[in-house]
Amino acid sequence: MNLLDIRNLSIELDTPNGRVLAVDKVSLSIKEGEVRGLVGESGSGKTLLAQAIIGVLEDKWHVHADRFHWRGIDLLRLTIDERRALLCRDIAMIFQEPMSCLDPTTLIGEQLSEAIDTSQLSGHFWQRKKQRKEAVIKLLHKVGIKKHSQCINSYPHQLTEAICQRVMIAIALAGRPILLIADEPTATMESTNQGQIYRLLANLNQLKNMSILLISHDLENLTHWTSTITVMYSGQFVEAGTTEQIFNKPMHPYTRALVDSSTKANLQLPSKSRLMTLPGSIPILQHLPIGCRLGPRCPRAQQSCVVAPKVSNFHGHKVSCHFPILQETTRKESTKRKPVKGVR
Amino acid sequence: MLTFTLRRFSLFIFTMLVLTLLSFSLSFLFPGDTVINHSGQIHATPTELVELNKVYKMDENIFSQYNAYLSHILQGDLGQSMASQSPISDEIIELLPATIELSLVALLIAMLIGIPLGFIAAIRHNKTSDNAILSFAMIGYSIPVFWLGLLAIHTFSINLGWLPSAGKISLLFEIDFVTGIQFIDILLSDSPYKWQAFSNASAHIILPACVIALAPATIFIRLSRAAMIEVLAAPYIRAARAKGLSFNQIIFRHAIRNALIKIIRHVGLQFANLVTIAMVTEVIFSWPGIGRWLIESIYQRDYTAIQSGLLVLSCFIFLVHILTDFIYAALNPLARGNNHGS
Repeated sequence: MNLLDIRNLSIELDTPNGRVLAVDKVSLSIKEGEVRGLVGESGSGKTLLAQAIIGVLEDKWHVHADRFHWRGIDLLRLTIDERRALLCRDIAMIFQEPMSCLDPTTLIGEQLSEAIDTSQLSGHFWQRKKQRKEAVIKLLHKVGIKKHSQCINSYPHQLTEAICQRVMIAIALAGRPILLIADEPTATMESTNQGQIYRLLANLNQLKNMSILLISHDLENLTHWTSTITVMYSGQFVEAGTTEQIFNKPMHPYTRALVDSSTKANLQLPSKSRLMTLPGSIPILQHLPIGCRLGPRCPRAQQSCVVAPKVSNFHGHKVSCHFPILQETTRKESTKRKPVKGVR
Repeated sequence: MLTFTLRRFSLFIFTMLVLTLLSFSLSFLFPGDTVINHSGQIHATPTELVELNKVYKMDENIFSQYNAYLSHILQGDLGQSMASQSPISDEIIELLPATIELSLVALLIAMLIGIPLGFIAAIRHNKTSDNAILSFAMIGYSIPVFWLGLLAIHTFSINLGWLPSAGKISLLFEIDFVTGIQFIDILLSDSPYKWQAFSNASAHIILPACVIALAPATIFIRLSRAAMIEVLAAPYIRAARAKGLSFNQIIFRHAIRNALIKIIRHVGLQFANLVTIAMVTEVIFSWPGIGRWLIESIYQRDYTAIQSGLLVLSCFIFLVHILTDFIYAALNPLARGNNHGS
């Protein structure tokens, strides 16, 4: 059963020159126990989409969707408060730049303990404080922080970025979520810490059957950890499928370009030659192209691309393109790549 | 924390040195004889003048003159008032506490009204209440204080008769001078009419304090509104919302403290402004404080009093600045330093 099922979600931004469609009819579904990757360049609306799901966008953003189901409950029929209460209980989110997402003037221990719901604690009110503290320590151990007493009595600026992200994960776990949205959790970290954070997330997925929506701009890295991937470009849905489908048989020219631009996929390339890239850069919000927004940069673009393409489904591999790369994509067997899962 | 204190202390010493330099040079710039401006003894006989010239080392170079002046100040000798021929230090000790009392009460009122209103405006950003509070702040900031003071006396003292219009306390009550701060003196005294005196003194302070508080309160409204809007847009507030905290929890646990940190330094800066307003208000409400005394000395061309009064008032304002710096450091863990990793 689908945990989260979103169909045609659009996000509009109020600007002085009228509304701008920042995210244009994106569909996303997450199954139970699945790790889904959400890939796109910076500025492609991944973070917006995640924040719209959890409902923490500011008032200037307007969200509407054709369908928004959470575990079979139609969220569009609920009031905003009911929806927030339901989603905050079941979904947790960790952000980019964990340091700035922790209150700089409050101790880590306090920030952690306020995330623990009173209903999780048994016992009378005079026992609550002690229980709360024990729960905080247990959470910190769960995310791999051993020096718990030092961590509890620290302010965020006294900790490293990686420890702050662990604390953020601990805060997210405090609510015992079913789905964890990780928005570029390792954006500002060095690679050893990145690996630790990803391994922690993978463990949580395997041991607790927690679904994870992993947002990143790094397709190659993501393939190690995810089972399915959705690709976005400039606020539009591009392609969705299993990791193997996306990485080995990309149907959309954009996904193809993403795969081609990664270093590991191009090991057979002679040294010091240029990597494959698309010409140009991602359009800014004020000057979005009509139709398929990849159009001006796309090598396969034709006249019909000025109309936004419909999503077509090839055995669960969804692609939004008028001219998908179909049979000719199968390359020679020697260049076929297999993503290694789970280990780095 | 020790280095923080030492740093503030050295800043205080150097600022005071510059201020004494300024007041020292005023004696030369004011009309009349320099040594008379220093000492304030306008009726000095020729023998006394010779004596004064010797004490202030007027026949030596300017550095030793400054040295002599500085040592006089450090001994607490600010000279004599030209108008009343009594020692200025005695007059200041008598009058300064009244001004401190008035300006602190005004600051308290300004903060208690201004900061919460600013927070409400920020929370209800771009709504009717926000606009109403902002326009109130604009109007309040534009009203000149002397006019507002007269208007307040006219309305509340004369027409309505609710509050007294002048003085610190009714002449009926005899309160011994201990600290100079009226409320503390009343509480320390053993008069049987202690509580009547207390309520009478409170009635006297309400009107001038409110008049002084209006302009700073409007500034606090704008400052706290801007600070709160900035804090509410911060990523940690969004993270707290994603954590599932209710709106009240977010405001009271996270937003207010972070917004207060941004405001508290400006409170110290606004205090100088507030004391200036207090000086004018003291004249209107005949408040026996140092502001009224200073303005009267300006009218009487009492140069010695002007320079000493300026020195003492600026010293007081600077001390308040340092105090707010300490409060800021206490509230803000980032300013306390001493990072340690884990």
